[in-house]
Amino acid sequence: MADDAESGLIARAQAGEHRAFAVLVRQYQDRVFRFILRLVGARDEAMDLTQETFMKAHQALPGWRPEAQFRTWLFRIAHNTALDVLRRRQRIEFVSFSDLPAGEEDHALPDPARQPDERLADSQSIELLERTLQELPAEHREILLLREVEDMSYTEIAATLGIAEGTVKSRIARARSAALAGYQRHTGEHRDE
Amino acid sequence: MNEQPAAMHAPDLPELSAYLDGELDAGGRQRIATHLAGCATCAAHLAELQALSAGFRALPDEKLGFDLAGVIEGRLAHLPRPPAVRRRDWWSGLPVAIGAAASIAAGVFMGSTLVAGSAATAPRMAALRVFDTMPPGNLCIGLESCYVKGSVK
Ligand SMILES: [Zn+2]
Repeated sequence: MADDAESGLIARAQAGEHRAFAVLVRQYQDRVFRFILRLVGARDEAMDLTQETFMKAHQALPGWRPEAQFRTWLFRIAHNTALDVLRRRQRIEFVSFSDLPAGEEDHALPDPARQPDERLADSQSIELLERTLQELPAEHREILLLREVEDMSYTEIAATLGIAEGTVKSRIARARSAALAGYQRHTGEHRDE
Repeated sequence: MNEQPAAMHAPDLPELSAYLDGELDAGGRQRIATHLAGCATCAAHLAELQALSAGFRALPDEKLGFDLAGVIEGRLAHLPRPPAVRRRDWWSGLPVAIGAAASIAAGVFMGSTLVAGSAATAPRMAALRVFDTMPPGNLCIGLESCYVKGSVK
């Protein structure tokens, strides 16, 4: 649920007050940008898509109701906008788990024994983690960003992505497992160099 | 309580992951906490998840680097006046409105001169150190219930 000040701004923006909408843009522009940037990878494209997201949001504003949290509503538009582009690029590789029998998904974590046994420079760790993130399927990358960077609850993520909370829970777990495996693969490569 | 069925040692990642996120109910939380207290393997897995989470939170805080609000305001000023607000269900309106907006949004985008202003922010990197200070896996913390194959030395 949006707070009172925010609801007031939205109501004024709905009534056609561009200045009120601009305040909302200012409040959310960096959060929307960093989400889209890590989703699509390219800075220029992320800037365009951030702008497109807010223009779409303005267009959709008459349909916004106070029952909807503005942030999740906005991020849902950002999600749709970015995914359109990723699909067009055909870079998207959604992994379908629906054909796995219930309870038989591979939830195993990577072998903890493969932890890096030497200290990596911080900047290097961040670089590896960024690379790991970019290599994940968009579906995994996106849910990790919403959870870890945007700090959304499972309920908020479910609303943003339009999926059930149970799906949020299992998808986050799979995404984390994939991210750990990817990160450890990179640190292993680093060690072998 | 100390007698744990062997199957429980196969880590249920979604439970562990939801535990980390504070998304379990009181019963589930208690169950996992009890298990973690006696199982070094699951505790090590949780530590990995925590380190990953800390790593993501330490990623550089990317900023757009210019006032998009001003740009948007300028664009809105040049749009034809929108029709009066219609009362309708917000989510029935959403996909339609987004589809309709796509063509509008495909218009003028910002020039590349605007790109220059983006400032790099000093990354909050301390959290990533967790990766490097974590003990090697399967380190038994010495409780009787920790009897996973290979974990007890
Ligand atoms: Zn265990």
